[in-house]
Formats: sequence, structure tokens, C-alpha cells
Amino acid sequence: MGEYYGIDVADIFNSMQSRFRPEGAEGVEASIGYDITGTGMWELRIGPGGMSLDKRDELTGCDVVVHVDAQTFVGLNIGKIDAMAALGAAKLKVEGDFNLFAATGKMFTKYVIPGQEVVPEQELLVLKKTISVNQRFAAGPVMGTFLQGLKEKKILAIKCPVCGRLQSPPREICAPCRVRNDEWVEIGPSGEMRMLEYCYYASPDPLTGETRETPYGAIGILLDGCGENEVFWHLLRPDQLDDVQMGIVMGDSVVHGSRLRPVWSENRNGSINDIKYFEIER
Amino acid sequence: MQKDDFSKSYVVEGKLALPYTYFAGRLGSTFLTTIRDQQKIMGVRCNQCSKVFVPPRQTCERCLSDIRENWVTLENTGEVINFTVVREHDKHLPRKTPYILGMIRLDGADTPMVHIIEGVNPESVSEGMRVKAVFAAESEGTILEIDHFIIS
Repeated sequence: MGEYYGIDVADIFNSMQSRFRPEGAEGVEASIGYDITGTGMWELRIGPGGMSLDKRDELTGCDVVVHVDAQTFVGLNIGKIDAMAALGAAKLKVEGDFNLFAATGKMFTKYVIPGQEVVPEQELLVLKKTISVNQRFAAGPVMGTFLQGLKEKKILAIKCPVCGRLQSPPREICAPCRVRNDEWVEIGPSGEMRMLEYCYYASPDPLTGETRETPYGAIGILLDGCGENEVFWHLLRPDQLDDVQMGIVMGDSVVHGSRLRPVWSENRNGSINDIKYFEIER
Repeated sequence: MQKDDFSKSYVVEGKLALPYTYFAGRLGSTFLTTIRDQQKIMGVRCNQCSKVFVPPRQTCERCLSDIRENWVTLENTGEVINFTVVREHDKHLPRKTPYILGMIRLDGADTPMVHIIEGVNPESVSEGMRVKAVFAAESEGTILEIDHFIIS
């Protein structure tokens, strides 16, 4: 007989009497057969008088027979292996009354290697909290103009007087040209899908503290009136995540993406959430 | 240019929720549950360096020996060795400002622990004052199992 986890199969059977919990076997009158592959067979009888265990050559007449290899059997008894996992992996087969087999867990205390009895687990303290931090975002005149535009269902971009590029959301300065932007242009509101980020992890929204449902699509839209890389970032209607087509520009070849239009919030107060999301134009 | 036109400027109010989980650790849990259940403050002692640390730590900071088993019970009294007055109000703080946060060296310990000091106004608190722990009737498993230290 081999040892597994430092324990002999016989140790488990020999200690059964001392580990027996009559209160866990109340009302049970049954016999349980253990067929330990390559090791032997045992019959456990539970009744009003307690338990008895005998080595057998065959297990006919038992209410339930458990077929298991020695390593799995030891593992189960010391809690190294989960019974459900062993069943799933076909390392453990239960023939007959499954509920009776399941009830044996209550009939015995766990097998403990002599000298390795563990002290009860200490209480570990875990504190779960959600703190809320108030924040104030000052829009400033440029972002303010853009956000006020959203209130009126207008998407505004600011134009660089030197290179002519459009920025939306706007910035005061065109960074490559190092000049102040000075002209407002209305763009969109519809456009073409250019980029999709499939997001599985959402961080809390700094405006509301709420975490949006995942997965969601963060998209780059080339709004009408914009060129090249002047994409506008927003969200995609959640149920259309798998329906959108992405547009790609590779040298001279242009593949157009899905046409998208904004869905506006009923109550707009000048925030980026005045657009709920973009949806496919059908 | 819009530069000096602030008519479109405004402020957006936001609220950020930060969920977090704080695990006190094995030593920390023993430390806090002992305060909660027995109103007893314990530290750990490094036998090699003859130093008693509170809050408890697993390893001696000087000789790096493992000291997690060497629990010693400390007195509920101690001495203010340093302090600061919290004046800026924040909703997460445990008290209304102004209040005193002190470094308190408990009798029997070699390191100070930080806690709230009451029973003296911020103008009169000074180093060397004697304090005594006042245990909380109810807490949630934090250092506020000790409600505060009171000047004795």
C-alpha cells in the first residue's frame, strides 16, 4: 500500500471509529462500500448502534459503493481534493445512493495526521468600504463652449488658424503649430466608425462615481466635416458592440466603417454625457 | 478670440466613488480583535533587541528576526510624545475639526502609535502628557476599537 500526502489508506479506515460523529449519522441505517483501486475493499455499516467497518472481498448488497483510487481517496479525506472536482474528472465514481455518499461528510470529522492537528482558524478582519470624494471640474472658456454646444445638440470643434486641423473636444492651443485656436466649426453630428475598443474593465466615472456595465465599446468616430485622424471619442450603444464595422485607411485603400449618429440625452446640462452614445444609422 | 470671455466657463460637480478592501493581516487582526473582545492592547517583542512594537509587526525592523509569536500585553496608559492638530475639515475624518492626533507611547512599548487625544483643547496639549485609552462601545474592526485616548 502506498502512502499519499504522507498518509496510508489504512490510516484513514483505522481512524474512522474515533472520527465517527453519531449526531451526524442520526437516523441513518445503511451500508457504504469503499472500493479503493489496487488497495482493497471496505464495508462501512451505519446503524442505531454506531458504526462498524470490515475489510471485504466484494461489495454486493451495499446501498452505495464508492470507486476511487487511493491517492484521490486520501486527498478527499484530508481536504486536498474536492469531491465535486474528483467526480468531474472521473477519479471518483459513486454507484447507488448518491445522497448517502454525500451524507458521509457529516458522519466523520476530518482526518488529521497525528501530531498535525491544527488550531482553529483565527478571525481575520477585512474592511470593505466605498468612500466618495467630491470633485469640481472647471470647464474653462474653450471646453465650456464645446459643452454648451452639446446642450444645444451641436458638436463643435475648434480650428487651428495655421494648419487648419479640427480638435474636438477642443483645446486652446494647436500643439504642433503652437498657436492659439480661434475658430469654431460645427461638425457631425453623424460620422463613420473608425476605432473600437472593447472594454472589459470599467473604472468609476469621475462625474457620478458609478461604474458602467462591461463590456462596453469606446469608439473613435470620424464625424462629418473632419478629416484623417480627427476622430471623436465616445461610447457605442451597448447592444451594437458586435454589429459595427470598423473603417480602415491603408495607403490608398479606404474601407468605410458603419455610419453612426449620436443619441442625445433628454436632460442636457452641458456635460459629455449629453450624448448618451452613438448608434448605427439604419 | 475667446480668451477673456468667461461667459461659457462653468463648473461641473462630480463625485468619485472609491471602493476598497482593507485586510488587517494576521497580526493586525489579532491586535484588533484582542482590543475589541478583551479591551487589551498587545504588542510584539523582539527578544534580541529588547524592543516592543505596537502596532504589532511580523519582523523586527532592526535585526529582521521573526517576532510574530512574541505577544506582550501593554498598559492602557501611555505618554504623548508628539502631536498635531487637524484643522482642515474633511468628511472622511473621524472627528469634527479641530481635533488632536497624538503619537502615544504606551507603557511597556518602545514605539508610538497614532490616535485621537481628547480631554484637552488643541492650545493646551503638550508632549509628555499622560493619557489613557478609552475603548469604543461599538466599532467595525478598525483601530477605532479604541475610541480615543483621554488626558489623565
